[in-house]
Parts: sequence; C-alpha cells; structure tokens
Amino acid sequence: MSLGRIDYVILSVYFAFVLGIGALMRRRVHTSEDFLTSHRSVPLWITSLAFIAANLGAQEVVGMCASGAKYGLMTAHFYWVGAVPAMLFVGVFMMPFYYGSRARSVPEYLKLRFDEKTRALNAATFAVMTVFSSGISMYALGKLFELVLGWSFTASVLLSAAIVLVYTFLGGLTSAIYNEVLQFFLIVLGFAPLAILAVNKAGGWTGLSSRLPAVMTQTWRHLGDASQNPMGVEVFGMVAGLGFVLSFGYWCTDFLVVQRAMAADSMSAARRTPLIAAFPKMIMPFIVIVPGVAAMALSQMGLGYALPAKPGGGPDYDLALTTLMAQFYPSGILGVGITALMASFMSGMAGNVTAFNTVFTYDLYQSYVHRNAPDRHYLWVGRFATVGGVGLSIATAYLASLFNNIMDLLQLVFSFENAPLFATFLLGMFWKRTTGHGAFTGLLAGTAAAAATHGLTVAEGKGGWIGVVHTFPSTMAQNFWMAIFAWSVCFTVTILLSLASRPKPEEELRGLVYGCTDIPGDHSEPWYRRPGPLALIVGVALAILNAIFW
Amino acid sequence: MNDLRIPIGAFFLIAGALLVAMPSARAPLTQAPVNLYAGLVMLVFGGVMVWLARRRS
Repeated sequence: MSLGRIDYVILSVYFAFVLGIGALMRRRVHTSEDFLTSHRSVPLWITSLAFIAANLGAQEVVGMCASGAKYGLMTAHFYWVGAVPAMLFVGVFMMPFYYGSRARSVPEYLKLRFDEKTRALNAATFAVMTVFSSGISMYALGKLFELVLGWSFTASVLLSAAIVLVYTFLGGLTSAIYNEVLQFFLIVLGFAPLAILAVNKAGGWTGLSSRLPAVMTQTWRHLGDASQNPMGVEVFGMVAGLGFVLSFGYWCTDFLVVQRAMAADSMSAARRTPLIAAFPKMIMPFIVIVPGVAAMALSQMGLGYALPAKPGGGPDYDLALTTLMAQFYPSGILGVGITALMASFMSGMAGNVTAFNTVFTYDLYQSYVHRNAPDRHYLWVGRFATVGGVGLSIATAYLASLFNNIMDLLQLVFSFENAPLFATFLLGMFWKRTTGHGAFTGLLAGTAAAAATHGLTVAEGKGGWIGVVHTFPSTMAQNFWMAIFAWSVCFTVTILLSLASRPKPEEELRGLVYGCTDIPGDHSEPWYRRPGPLALIVGVALAILNAIFW
Repeated sequence: MNDLRIPIGAFFLIAGALLVAMPSARAPLTQAPVNLYAGLVMLVFGGVMVWLARRRS
C-alpha cells in the first residue's frame, strides 16, 4: 500500500487541527484542576463521545477487525456483552459516588472509602499499567505502519508521540477530551465506508452469510459448548467472565474511562455520560468487526483477495483491516482511513497519558512526595508527568521491539491485578461494612488467585507454570475463567476480613457508599434526561441487536 | 474556542472538499466513486456541525 500526495495532505490537515485545538485549550488552563480534571466543566455530548473514544485505540480498531475475521460476529460480544451492560451500571449506580465524593481520581476514591494503602496499591499499579499500555499500543502502531506503508518505526512512533505530547501538554485533559471527539468522528467516517463496501462486495449480509459457516455470522447460537465455536468459550464463561468480571472491572473502575465522565459539568451529566456513550458503542461492531467478517467471505470469492500468511503459517488476521483498505480505498479516502488509524492510536495514547498524569500528580506525588505545595507547583508537576508519561511510553515501545516476551509477561501480570478490582468497588460502594483491611487483603488474594489459575491451567501452550490441572480450549477461555476465580476469591476474602475488622463510622462514609449517601433526585428532569429511562432504552436496543444476530 | 463543533465541522468540510475534488480515483475491488460519496457525506456532516454551532451562538 502506498499513499498519494492527497493522503499526506489529509494527514497534515488532521495534525494541524489537533495541535490547533491543543493551542486553543491552553487558554483555559490556569490551575492544576483545569489541567488534570478539566475542572468538571465539559459538556455532556463531549464527555460521552470521549468516554468511548479513549477506549478506541489502534489496537482496538485493528484487533477487533482481526477478531472479526478469526472468530466472526461473536466478537461483538466484546461490545454487547462486554461493554454496554457495564456502562449502564457505572452510569446508573456508581457515578453518584465517583462524582459525588469529589474525588479527583479513582485511586483517591479508594483512599476516601477505605484507606491509604488501598489507594497506593491501585495508584501505583495503574500508573505503571497506563504507561505500558500506551507504549505497547505505540509499538503495535509503529510495526503496523512499518509493515503496511513502509514507514520507519522510529518516525511513526516519534511523530505521533510528539503530537500527542504537544496537545496534552498545552491543554491537559480538556484538550485530550476535545481531540478524542474529533478522533471519534474521524474513526467512524473513516472506517464506515470500508464496512459498507466490503459487505456490499460480498453480496450484502445475505451473500456474506451464505459464504461463511453459520458460526461466523451468529452471536449466541454456538455458545452452548466451548467446542462449537472458534473462541472456545461456553455461555457461562462468556457471561460471567467477559460480561461481568472483566467488563465491569474495566468500564466501572478503570480511571482512563471513568475520568471522562468525572470531567462532566454536573452530576446529572456525569451519570448520563456512559449511558449516552452506550448508543454509539452498540453500533461500533458494524464499523470495526463486520469488515473482518467480510474479509473472510471475500477471500473465498476468487477476487484475488486473501489475507496474507503469517511466517509460521496460517492467515495473518491482524492485517485484515489494512488489506481491505488497500483493496477498497483509492487515494483520497485512503488518506482518511490512515488518518483514522493514526487518530485511533492518538486517542488511546492521550487517554493513557492524561489518566497517568492525574494519578501521578495527585495520588503519588501530592500524597507521598510533596503534600502542601502551591497549586501552581502541581500544575507543573502535571505537565512534567505528561512529558514523563510520553517519554516512558516511547521507551516501552522500543523495549517491546527488543523483548516482546517481556511485554507479554507484564500484560499478564497486570491482568492478574485487574481481574479482582471490581469486587473491591462493588463491596466498597454497596456494603458499608466493608473495611480497608478487607479491601486490601481481598485485592491481594484475588490477584494471587488469578496468578494461581494461570499457573495451574494451560491453553494454547500458555500457562501451566505450576502444574497442569485443567486444559482450556483457548487462551480467551483461560482469561475469562481466571477473571471469574480472581473475582470470587477477592469478593469472599474481602467479606471475611471485613467482618473480622472494624468498619469506618457511617458519618465518614457519606457520599461514598450506598445507604449513607443522598443521591440527588431527578424527578424534575424530563424522562429523556433521567438515567433510569435512558438505561432502559439502551437495554431494549441491546436486546433487539442480540435477537437479530442471535 | 467556545464550541468544539466549529473545528470538527471545519475539518470535515476541508476533508470532504479534498475528496470531492478527485472523484475519479478507483480502488482494485470497487468501481464505485468512493471519494465522491465519502466526500459528500463529510461535507454534509461538516456543514451540519458548523450550522449547529452557529445556531447556538
């Protein structure tokens, strides 16, 4: 694939706009809260789109298309089961405590609700995890552009990192959020034509379905037994592992996404942010997954299109998106598509960097290094943390290019820590008897349980480093069950330890726990501005989608 | 900047105009004028965003 002059012009115009937005947002930054939390001033429609755009990194776009080609439409479960229900839950039930507590970050909420050690554990792991996530994403994009466009790995990484650095350094979180909205529209308008063209070429949905096994175009029918579908997952693993533990663990507790809702200009807007975001989230599978499914149908039509083979054999699904772009996009819209890929990377990276600088500044630096400095000091610490976060991400990207196995190991270790987190929040927000000792010990026990599950089971040659007591049909099934065990152990240990230790007095739990908090009523609002009816509409739409593609 | 819809609208107006300006480009697997169709959609989208922003102001 090679780009024409017009493609580079479109890419340049995009860079000019994101930098321009950063420069304009700089005027709004006067305090550390302006820079790190947007001073809770961002309108609802912007926080809603940023809520999903921050999650829409390059790995997500390229990876979901690849999964569509490999697993078929079942990949939509990552949206319809693994995202939307959790988004409804965080909007309706959890946001009143995040927003109402006036915490500036998720780790700070843990400090207010539990204690310092629980905050420290969450803040430290989150800060390291965001930097590594950003770096790994950067590495993936650099390798992709090197392979597909022949661009230098170093040039791709440094150029995109420099642009993200400039606009986040200038305008902080507001700049990142505003740019994420532009990036969201670019991703939708840049990739939607590809889905339409690819499905149309395959003969529409009917033609596409007739060329592929039924399991590739249905979502639930083949989940009765793990051996009946290419994911190797059965319905319980899917619903409990992905739909409950992993999904709620990410969408309800990960500061990267929660931060977008917390930047909203009112409690009502913060609660509606994930609910409004759920509407576009529901349709994203048609933009990022369906092209992958269509790629498999097209490869059987004798059109001269096929997925390239991996060096070790078998199709390289990761190239589904870019090979389709090469076949369906002429110069011009190709530039829009490549710019959308770049935008998806930037939105993911900016999300990680702005979450990192807030947690670093407030939860690590202000708490443990320099407590009572003037606000201007924290503003500059936030800016330096932004530079540091981008620098560490670049270093991680190069580390990944040298030692890919180390990155796999680090991602695995972080997944151990992430799996049980939702149990801690669930108990902390909805059971006032939960104590700091219980939460902290439960988190450690859940993390250990995740590691033990991985060490005692094996899937596709992975795991089993303690011994093999069970073999999973796929690493996906192994991950889902690891999450289920970790969550269950964390939940149980937290309850037992909490019952054996002294809880906080109720007056210290106001604004933090259900039953001790006056949640503002919304009965004076019209129905379409209330979280309950909105969640109901999303739920009905979700049920209809699942029924159509059952 | 008071309204984010203005830069978003401006970006898609520029991108749409660039695409519409080269309608004859073709890709290997389609004979459709993809640039023209996508460009028109972007022009409409950009125009609506700017119109919404101006209506508010």
